[in-house]
Parts: sequence; C-alpha cells; structure tokens
Amino acid sequence: MTSKRTMARAFSLVAGLALVVGACTSGGGGAGASGGAASLPGVQQSLIDAAKGEGNLTTIALPRSWCNYGEVIDGFTSKFGIKINGLNPDGGSKDEVEAIKANKDNKGPAAPDVIDVGLSFGPDAKGQDLLQPYKVAGWASIPDSNKDPDGFWYGDYYGVLSFEVNTNAVKNVPADWSDLLKPEYKGQVALAGDPTASNQAISGVWAAGIANGGSLDNAQPGLTYFKQLNDAGNFVPIIAKTANVASGDAPIRIAWTYNALADKDSLKGNPPITVVVPKSGRFGGVYVQGISKFAPHPNAAKLWMEWLYSDEGQNLWLKGYCNPIRYDDLVKRGVVNKDAQAKLPDTTGALLPTLDQITKATDVISKGWPTTVNVTVK
Amino acid sequence: MSGRAPGALETIGASPPPRRRRPGSLVWWIVFILGFLYFFLPLLGTFAFSMRSQPLFSAYAVVVDDPQFARTLLYSFVVGLITILVSIVLIVPTAYWVRLRLPRLRPYIEFITLLPFVIPPIILVFGLLRSYSGGPLPLAGSDTGSDVLLVAAYVVLSFPYMYRAVDTGLRSIDVRSLTEASQSLGAGWFTILVRVIFPNLRVSLLSGAFLTLAIVVGEFTIATFLGRPAFGPYISLLGGNKAYEPAAVSLISFGLTWIAMGVIGLVGRGSRSRIQVAGAH
Amino acid sequence: MTASPSLIAQGAPPARHERRFGWAWLGVVPFLVFAVAFLVLPTVYLLVNSLTDSAGNPTLGNYAHLSEPNLADAYWASIEISLVTAIGGGIFGFLLAYAVIAGGLPSFLRSALTTFCGVASNFAGVPLALAFTFTLGASGILTPFIKALGLSLNIYSKTSLELAYLYFQFPLMVLIIAPAIDGLKRDWREAAENMGASSFQYWRHVAFPILLPSLLGTIILLFGNAFGAQATAYQLSGGTINIVTIAITRQIRGDVANDPGVGYALAIGMVVIMGVSIAAYTFLQRRSERWLR
Repeated sequence: MTSKRTMARAFSLVAGLALVVGACTSGGGGAGASGGAASLPGVQQSLIDAAKGEGNLTTIALPRSWCNYGEVIDGFTSKFGIKINGLNPDGGSKDEVEAIKANKDNKGPAAPDVIDVGLSFGPDAKGQDLLQPYKVAGWASIPDSNKDPDGFWYGDYYGVLSFEVNTNAVKNVPADWSDLLKPEYKGQVALAGDPTASNQAISGVWAAGIANGGSLDNAQPGLTYFKQLNDAGNFVPIIAKTANVASGDAPIRIAWTYNALADKDSLKGNPPITVVVPKSGRFGGVYVQGISKFAPHPNAAKLWMEWLYSDEGQNLWLKGYCNPIRYDDLVKRGVVNKDAQAKLPDTTGALLPTLDQITKATDVISKGWPTTVNVTVK
Repeated sequence: MSGRAPGALETIGASPPPRRRRPGSLVWWIVFILGFLYFFLPLLGTFAFSMRSQPLFSAYAVVVDDPQFARTLLYSFVVGLITILVSIVLIVPTAYWVRLRLPRLRPYIEFITLLPFVIPPIILVFGLLRSYSGGPLPLAGSDTGSDVLLVAAYVVLSFPYMYRAVDTGLRSIDVRSLTEASQSLGAGWFTILVRVIFPNLRVSLLSGAFLTLAIVVGEFTIATFLGRPAFGPYISLLGGNKAYEPAAVSLISFGLTWIAMGVIGLVGRGSRSRIQVAGAH
Repeated sequence: MTASPSLIAQGAPPARHERRFGWAWLGVVPFLVFAVAFLVLPTVYLLVNSLTDSAGNPTLGNYAHLSEPNLADAYWASIEISLVTAIGGGIFGFLLAYAVIAGGLPSFLRSALTTFCGVASNFAGVPLALAFTFTLGASGILTPFIKALGLSLNIYSKTSLELAYLYFQFPLMVLIIAPAIDGLKRDWREAAENMGASSFQYWRHVAFPILLPSLLGTIILLFGNAFGAQATAYQLSGGTINIVTIAITRQIRGDVANDPGVGYALAIGMVVIMGVSIAAYTFLQRRSERWLR
C-alpha cells in the first residue's frame, strides 16, 4: 500500500540519518585528559580531583572571540580534561541570570555553573540569592572596588571604548568623538548594540557624553550627542556586526577595544582595520564572574575560577586585548605576557564607573534613547 | 448529499488522467521571474560578499575543516525529522476531527495553534525548564530528556504551520464524503485516517514538513538554552568576529537544507493517487 | 442527512441522540494533552509573571504600562507591519503559487520552488538582515543600479523592513495555499469556459469564492508569523524601529535591569491581539464558507 511504502521510506530515512549521526558523534574525539600533574599555584589538589570527577562545566554567554575566551576554554579543557558546554554565546547578562533562575531545580545540561556579567548584575544576582561565594587563590590582588567583600562576585577584566575603523571605506581616520560629527562620516557611524539593552552600546553613549560635557555622574549629554549624530545623518541605526564593518555599511563601529582588535586580527587586513581609542571620553567597563548557587558542577566551577584568575589565565585574557583585573599585580611581579602587553592600546585616563554611577546612567540612557534618537522614517 | 459513494473507492490506486496543460501565459512567466529575482538577489549578494574572503573560498573551508559543522547539522536534521513525524501524528487527527465533528471547537484549536507565534521562544524555553526540572517528570535533568524537551518545543513551534497546511488540504478534499464512503465499506477510524485521509494530504504534509524542518534547522534560542548540540548554536558560535564565514555558512546550510527537502519531497511523493468523489462539493 | 446503517453498526452514536462530544473528543485529546504539557504551561507561567512585580507581589501595574504612548505605538507598528506583509505576501505568494501549479509552467519548477520556499520560509533574523544589506546596502550588488537611476533607498526604514519580511512571507503563502490550488479542479475551469465565462468571470465567481476560506486562513497565519518576528527587525534597525517584540526583548533580555513584568505583560497583550484577530478571521471565514454551500 502506498502509504505503508512511504512510511517505510520515511522511517528508513530517519534510521539511516540517526546511524550516521551516531557514527559521527562517537567518532569525534573529546579532549584527552592530561596525564601529568595538572595543577595551579595555590590550588589544592583535592579541588582539582573533585572537579575532574565532575568532568563537565556549563558556561553561558561566552563567545570564543570575546577576550580570547576560545583559548581560555581550550586551555582549561586540555589541562584538566574537563569538557565545557557553552550555552547561548550571544547572550546578555540578563539571559545568564534568568538561566540560573529557570534551572534552580535542574542539574541537567541546561543549568549554567558560572556567569560572566556586567558589573551591576553581580550585586543583583547576589541579592536574588543566585550565587555562591568563593575566593580564588589570588583574591587579595583583585582591587576592592571590583569585588564583593563576601566573595559572591568579582571583577574579571575590563576594556575601553574605541572606534573600529574600516580604512578601506574611511580615508580620514577619526581621532575623537567630536570628529564623528563631521559631514565626511555621513552614514558611517554605528554602535555594536542596542542602547536600551546592551552594556556595550550604553557605554558608547555614555562615553560620548563624557567627551561632550558629561561626566560619570551625568550621562544625559551622551543622548544629546547621539541626537546630533543622528540628525547629521552620520548615525547608522543597526546593531553593527563584524560583517557590517567589513562590508562598509558601518565602517566606524563603537566597540570595546578587545572586540575591535579581535576583529582586526580575524579580518587580517581584508579589509584593514584601525582601532582608535578616542582622545577624550575614555571609558572602561568591568565585567564580573560568579558561581551559580545551584551549579550542577560546583567543584569544576571553582576550578574554572582558579584557572581564570591564575597568572596563566589572566595572561590569556590579556592576549585577547582585555585588561585582566589582576593586571597591576602581574606587571609588578614581572609575570605579564610582554608581547600581549605591547599590543595593548594606550588607555591612560580611562574612567571606570562605580556601581551607583552605572545604575543611574543605564537608567537615563536606556529610557531616554527611544525618545531622543528615534527612527520613525517610513 | 450526493450518494455516488460506491463508485468512488474504485479509483483508489489509480492515478488521475494527466493534466493537459495549457501553455503558460506570459503573465505567469513574469510573475515567476519577478519572484525568482526577489529570492535570488539577496542570496547572490550574500555570495558576492563571501567571495571577498582571501584567499578565495576560504570562508567555505569551514565546512570541510570543522567536524562540528556536519555533526550539528545532522543532529538538527534528525531532530527535525522526528519533530515532523510527531507533529503530523498529533495534528492530522485533530484537524480531521475538528473539520468533521467538532466545528465549534475550531477557533479555540486555531488559537492554540497560533499561540507559538506570540510566546517569545525564550519564555517558552524557560517555562519548560522550570516545569520539567524537578518533580514528576524531570526531563531537563538528562541529555536524553533534554532532547525530548527540544523535540517537544519544536513540535509546538510547528503547530501553526502544520495545522494550517493540513487544514487547507482538508478543505480541498471532501472529507465528509470520503469518510462516509469508507465507512460504508466497513473501514474503522484508524483505517480511514491512515489509508484514506493521509494519502490525500500529501501536498499539505510535505508543505508542513518543509516548514517544520526549516524551523528546526534554523532555530537557536531553545536549542542553546537547553544546551543541545544543534546547528543554530553552532552558527552563532562561529559568528563572533568573523565577517565572511557566517555568510558562507548561511549559504551552505541554505543549500543543504534545500537538498534535504528535495529528498523528503521524493520520499513523500510516492504515487499520486487521489480519490475523486464525483459530483461532490 | 440519514446515517447509513454501517455507521450505526460500527458503534458510532446514533444520529438522533448524538451526544456531540461523545467519541469525537478522543480524537483531539492527544493534541490537547501535548499542547497543555508543552505550550499552555509556559503560557501560564508567562501570565502569572505578568501579574507579579519585581518583588514578587501580585499586581496589575505591569499592564498599566501598556497604555504608555511608547508601548501603544509599538503595538500599532507591529500590527501595521504584520498586516501589510500578510496581505502583500498573501497576494504575491498566491500568484507565485498559482504560476507554478496551474499557470502552465514546466512542472519541475513547481518542486524547485516548493522546496526552495521550504528553506526560505525560515530565512530570517541576522542572515536575512545581512543578505539585505549585501544587496541594497553601502556595497550592495544592486546599489550601483539604484544610484544610477537616481533613487535613494533607506534600508533602515519600516518599508525596507517590510520588504525584508516578505522574504519569508511569500514562501509561507506558496507552501500553504498549494493544496487549495491543486483542489481547483480542471473541469470547473473548462466548464466555465464552455459556458462562455471570461477569465475574470471564472475567477470572480468560481475560483475566488472557493479559495477564499483558505486564503483567509493563510493570511492570518502570515499575520501571526510577522507579528511574532523579532530578530530580523532587531538586526536591521538596531532596535530603533519600535515594535512589540523588540519592546519585549528589551525588558526581558539584554544587560539592562529593567522590569521584566512589563515584558510579560506585553507578551500577554500580543496573545490577546492574536485572539481578537482569530475571532475576526473566524467570523469572516464563516461568511465566506456560506457562499460555498
């Protein structure tokens, strides 16, 4: 009967594919556990053994290209043999917090062990009782202003806002925020996110404001600046991705130095990228780490933290053009990776806001953006 | 109601006479060409952009170099096929019954099937995680359970398309007469559904299958929050700071999914037997 | 209509005392159970959270926000974009489907188009947005031609977004309406012509009334499809075009500690609009079906 034949065909198709998938996935190799002594200075072997016993770590919102997380992840896996499952690499901080909340009773693969979020989300997550405290071996060398005294969250790295410029499309590289308003940059300037939801974009607006009469306590001039930029026709209202920079649709992108420099490396001159830290309005943003209170693999999570804050881990972030939080300590003790250090752009004078300042500015910018810079063009 | 039932069933298994096609008029050719241009140009633009990578075609090398590409794509294909089957099994009887016996229920069923459009996927996945985390049915607690949750979520996402496709198909055949005719020959409900209704819904089921497969292969949010090794999360991991590779990958996956649908179409075509009930409608 | 003896013999309830929801209900039970387990439950969670404020106390305050001009505008914009692309997509999608099914084109084009539409139906979000910029953007392949014609196109406007949306609306229409076009029997057209009807008369009096219920059904599907779309608009406009799905994303995702309750309320608002649309469509469809009997 026709339908039976069709059903038979359909089932054999599914079965065949399932076999192929099975073959592929079983054939692939996981990272082999290193046989020799895997250790980190200041870290107890019992923790390492317990972590290895758990065998897995679930992370969230860690793109491989962000601060060289790719190497950080691979380094962890090859050193300790612990497999890392990354959820939602494009996620924002709220996704990470919501994911912990949704998985409170879940020890399965969807529950994140560790989070890497914007500064304001550290205390927020702690307040919602979603984190567990842990102080890494190098705890003392983390600046006090960037960690929770009880150890629930701790700063990991920061970057500074820069202009990522596609020099094929832009002949005259801008040097400062005021340059961007010039008519020669018509239809060329974009943010890397949505200023009502993205930390990077909000910081971009804030930084522009600081360069134009604002301050860490007053972010309103940033909105005024972008209104000017939009009225002049220089602002491109998209979430600019690397492809947009390369294609010339958004040849000047406002992004963290580490993202811009990572793009530059990845594009390898096709097209050539210049990364400019603006002369005024230098602004840095700190991100923080935390361990979920409901982490299915708490020991692997702790070992992960030890790895991130070890000299080796911090240097890997440095290689990704991020300023690791223990940077000053690394330099003082002479263990900083000199090549990576040399490649860091000059960011002297960069302002780092406090938690209260961030909360206030975020509120002002995210609420003010839709009414200040609104595209209602038909 | 016309009572020509007995003669109809004799045509089961016989193909209808071939259509004498009138030569295509210019109007329809123009329509087709316009459609072709509209669909083709953006793909051409994407291809042109991917060609800017140096050396040439290096953006496409990712397909060959990265075993994860094939692995995740296959995973998504298999999940897609299972989703299609479950969706068909759930929707066809429902649409059939609603049409035949429960017309009052139709708006409510349609509302349910259209709900997935307005529930943001992130809310769906978090809701599912919360519901199936502990308690009586801890699906989220294991890999296989999470796979089940993924299929379930995708079946839900397929509801609007599958239901509408089947409903349109049912409208185009005279369900009532077919049912009565089959019953008068002694067929039970199950036989009617499987041997009479299903074959007549071939085109609809194929449409529904295509739409569902496309959704599953392209879906990202649910797969990534469930921690499943699907194709959507793989692509976003690739995106990062690359410009040409995402363009290449999206074209490749477009092409491969197109081929997969062609295969499904071949499997599903079988012999085009349609049951004509003369004089009905 | 009298029930044939065989119907009664099979244990179906007798026509006279038919308890309408006797056996028939069982047919939809699997679907309902599945829907409750995997769709209604998350929806309930959505509803409950929309009635809770950030401290966890029950409140209607989230819904009060919906009357704010910013959010009300978002609803109107969403409805407008969805209607425009549903009707526009429906019309040309139908024409395209008819062209390959009954328009006399070579038959391989039908399967090529159908399978292509399968893939294109979900070509949305970032890849679609990027594809549009690669076609019409700063270095797009069509841009030189457009400039040569002296036109300028703002690809970040609402109209451009609608143009992009059609990329997945056309295919959806083609795929869903195909069986209905198949169902337009050849003989009817020939019979109409034999009676001297012109093409227009055939369409107006025969084909269109028959197709209308299916067309309505598909258009509401296209409406829902566009209504719930978010990623394409977000990428193409950076969030500057104010539609409901983006407003929801702002509240419940991202890096800004907003009040997610408002986001949930917005989503429930969408559910209500969907319900109203279905009511309107059901009414229209019942009217159109009456013409067929």
